[in-house]
Amino acid sequence: MKAVLASLCLWAISSLWGLTLDAADPRTGSAKALWSIQPFQTSLREAPLASQWDRNQVDSFIRGKLEQIGVIPQKQAEDRILLRRLYLDLLGLLPSPEETNDYLFDASPHRYARKVEELLASPAYGERWARHWLDVVRFAESSGFEHDSDRPHAYPYRDFVIQAFNLNLPFNTFLEWQLAGDQLLAENPLAKAATGFLGAGVFPTQLTEKEFESARYDELDDMVSTTGTAMLALSIGCARCHDHKFDPIPTEDYYRLAATFTKTIRTEVELTSDLGQNMTAMISTDGGKPMKHAADGRGYPHFFPSTFILKRGDVNKKGKKAEPGFLSMLKHESNTSHLTAGSRSQLAKWITDPDRGGGRLAARVIVNRLWQHHFGTGLVSTPNDFGTQGSKPTHPRLLDWLAKELIQRGWNLKSIQRTIVTSATYRQSSRPVPETRKKDPDNTLLWRFPARRLEAEAIRDSMLGASGMLDSTPFGPGSLDPNMPRRSIYFFVKRSQLTPFLLLFDFPEPMVSIGKRASTSIAPQGLTLMNSPTIRMYAKRLVARARSEVASGQAGEIIQRIYNLTYNRPATPTELTRCQQFLEQQAKSSETTPHEAFHDLAHGLLMSNEFLYQR
Amino acid sequence: MNPEAETLARRDFLKRSGAGFGLLGLAQLLNDDELLAQPASTQSSPTPLSAPMAPRAAHFPGKAKRIIWLFMNGGQSQVDTWDYKPELAKREGQSLEGFDRFTGFFANAVGGLMPSPFTFSPRGQSGKMVSEIFPHLGAHVDKMAFIHSGYSESNNHSPALFMMNSGLPRMGFPCVGSWVTYGLGSESQNLPSFIVMSDPKDRGLPKGHASNWSAGFLPGIFQGTWLRPKGDPISHLNRLPNVSAERQRSQLDFLESINNAFSKNYPNETDLNARIRSYELAYGMQIAAPDALNIQSEPESIQSLYGLDQEHCRHFGVQCLMARRLVERGVRFIQIYSGGNENQRSWDGHNDIHGNHQGFARETDQPIAGLLQDLEQRGMLEETLVVCAGEFGRLPIAQKAKKPGRDHNPHCFTAWLAGGGTKGGVTYGASDEFGFRAIENKVHINDFHATLLHCMGMDHEKLTYRHNGRDFRLTDVGGSVIREILA
Repeated sequence: MKAVLASLCLWAISSLWGLTLDAADPRTGSAKALWSIQPFQTSLREAPLASQWDRNQVDSFIRGKLEQIGVIPQKQAEDRILLRRLYLDLLGLLPSPEETNDYLFDASPHRYARKVEELLASPAYGERWARHWLDVVRFAESSGFEHDSDRPHAYPYRDFVIQAFNLNLPFNTFLEWQLAGDQLLAENPLAKAATGFLGAGVFPTQLTEKEFESARYDELDDMVSTTGTAMLALSIGCARCHDHKFDPIPTEDYYRLAATFTKTIRTEVELTSDLGQNMTAMISTDGGKPMKHAADGRGYPHFFPSTFILKRGDVNKKGKKAEPGFLSMLKHESNTSHLTAGSRSQLAKWITDPDRGGGRLAARVIVNRLWQHHFGTGLVSTPNDFGTQGSKPTHPRLLDWLAKELIQRGWNLKSIQRTIVTSATYRQSSRPVPETRKKDPDNTLLWRFPARRLEAEAIRDSMLGASGMLDSTPFGPGSLDPNMPRRSIYFFVKRSQLTPFLLLFDFPEPMVSIGKRASTSIAPQGLTLMNSPTIRMYAKRLVARARSEVASGQAGEIIQRIYNLTYNRPATPTELTRCQQFLEQQAKSSETTPHEAFHDLAHGLLMSNEFLYQR
Repeated sequence: MNPEAETLARRDFLKRSGAGFGLLGLAQLLNDDELLAQPASTQSSPTPLSAPMAPRAAHFPGKAKRIIWLFMNGGQSQVDTWDYKPELAKREGQSLEGFDRFTGFFANAVGGLMPSPFTFSPRGQSGKMVSEIFPHLGAHVDKMAFIHSGYSESNNHSPALFMMNSGLPRMGFPCVGSWVTYGLGSESQNLPSFIVMSDPKDRGLPKGHASNWSAGFLPGIFQGTWLRPKGDPISHLNRLPNVSAERQRSQLDFLESINNAFSKNYPNETDLNARIRSYELAYGMQIAAPDALNIQSEPESIQSLYGLDQEHCRHFGVQCLMARRLVERGVRFIQIYSGGNENQRSWDGHNDIHGNHQGFARETDQPIAGLLQDLEQRGMLEETLVVCAGEFGRLPIAQKAKKPGRDHNPHCFTAWLAGGGTKGGVTYGASDEFGFRAIENKVHINDFHATLLHCMGMDHEKLTYRHNGRDFRLTDVGGSVIREILA
């Protein structure tokens, strides 16, 4: 197999003359131009004057930019809407009618802050936020390619990510363990399970002798590229065949990183979890007993003793041996590094070191990801590309402030999220203001909260929750059964058999790092919501639940209960009338019993925009 | 949500949908300027953002409007089909000089040169030498442009399948059909724009399964829709049991009333409106899709043209006929796999090349010939590019077995194109005297793809998509259009 692989990032240069002229020259390391690796800006305040609207520092940055275009941000959203937003954001689940009521009747001025604490401490929080990270690390539980064989012991990595979020593991540690938990804390089961990150990529199950070496280089590429994109938002993989065209990443740097993983392979070990459970986990180690492979009989070596710099990525054109090393663009000359390259643990320490390595960039990248999941779009709208070809931040000072705070607060993600969700910016109404819309039609500067469709998992989990079917058992092996009642993160992620419902609502294919999902509204989604027996079952269970929870059994009260379970608000009198008319109309038809008419109604609400959108 | 003033009353919409052209999946990619970086339209119109399936102008007027790709899964042997090599008979049993035994899959079953078990004879005006296993297709050689010098970069099924479908031997890149629909949108409102049909005889899916019609990193709406060979071809196409059209209609009216009430607070939100319309589209699809796939409505003469009256090729004939009905209704890209997974379940004739190829030729010969003739008689061939190619070729030497077969050959394969702006009765490129290696005018798969895009009116260097910091192309950094086979 000729290694064209990374030649795929040679560009259609002819159409890009204008850009190439401005590009940083990788050889001279003129990284000066690249904003994302600069020291944090020291002048951090955007708006010098405080305002009554502001609730914390975030708001001064946002308001500052809005004032520049003469726009006043929105007032706080209604309580119910804000509560629903917070639950969906932090947990990916709806507040129950009781939780909603408790909140509304809580007279304390601290009720919002208390609610934020409660949700950040909920085990459901990790199940929500781990899924965002799993997109970024192309997590799956099968090998892909021809047989797509299962990796039944890949789930401990997923559970590690959930636990890391719930335990609020410092983010630098979180990254370090994924690169080298086996070396840094060999006795810690979570640290070991974290290395599942490196081995989560695709790998062929069928290999011919001709492919042994190129397949191994592909595997190294998967580790290097995913590390670069997930942790640093740099397309390091572009430098596999040639120096990066736009960012200061020479080919040698690529192979230096690849050489760090020369002996890193997938292996299975027995672990005892914190809870005392024994499990087999697929982790990554250097050497060790490789997992069985179909080509073992042909003599597949799993790794080669050395990694070479390849000319144009071709294994038949080996240059000199690559020695492990770091990215030269992130070397800071003022600090003579005590970090020496060689092992994965050294790479891990380097990648999170704000002064001598990639730490500042890593911090910027993760706070941007957090922002994106709270607001739909990051401050940098290309979360996986902080290079010269990516977007520039809309609020560079805010990004820097958040990144700096993250590091100063001990890489505490929940603390940053607390700051974000308690800001006035976050608590704004999502209602449009026609005049403002003319000035900032895309809401880039956040003059209102951006409403958006729920992600696939949140749609499904909210339906399960509303219908009372949700099984909140955490952790352990996943399931391929589309009707399993656990949260969607516990679906077994088989690459050739992704859960159809999730796929339909833009669950990404786990082949490479995905920083941002699409959000589509297409006819096949309509078909499934209308005709899927599973959705219908949710509707039926929702009605049954509402009936059982209403003492009087009157239609009006059942309708109210269904509204509270799905929309966390009661129906208005007009809506109540419309619903009752609908029930009568459906029941007129000979084929429909009054029960079924109720199913049609609940089913309708589950398909509605108010249910499917966060606002 | 992008504020685009665009509201459309349902009745108005239903009127328009009756015209049969419009948008299939009105997707709204929220605030995602970079997602649809450069679709084919040369205008800088932002249309694709709010309607990625809306038909778009090509880079230049292309002769083809749609593609039907007959995928000879497993790897068709060039020397037993279209690439006549009399030298093999003269050198039968001799070893192939300089042969690297790791070329194919089985390094320990390398035999000597093996002539084709089939006889060849000249067909058509062009006198193309054609294997006896294609009695029907032989009659159409004057419509076909043959490429005898194709080569792949992998000797292994799934990387080679990925290569042929996405231009790279790795997993996870967008397939040709995804690129084409990304570039041009769809002309069908009620049907998926990129459709894949696989073997209906329980012989499995091509290796790598759905990755062969994956949208890779393109938005998911551009992935191929796999028509399930059994049961409902499209998931949830049929209403639930006991739900009549009337009852569903009434439920959707109720849904619309609550959605409209919700929209009052959010006027002009494209995404909310798109979702409201998606239910109407879905409702329409329940009627349009079964109608498109209903081959029973075709006259008997047409059914027998495709071989539906013959057991050995009925299944493939049905798929070819469905393909014609689908492209007639505006579907942009269709791929039909001949054969299932590997070995004797597909064209992968490791054993008994004679029996294997004879069998699969019998399954496909008349249906494909019927398709070509039918497209031509309806005046559709000029605008329909028919492609016939698999993932690689096979070796001219025997793979030793009781009944000898042929192993994989990445160095040479034959493909043919018909219609859609290609020339008929021509041959491009050549393999060596044994059909082992492409030697003259070699055609890389990037070249092949560049040519397909060209026929569709797209410049393969301009059809790009930015992902994780790179502008990707179907043709990577290569590809040149094979102008010699264009009309």
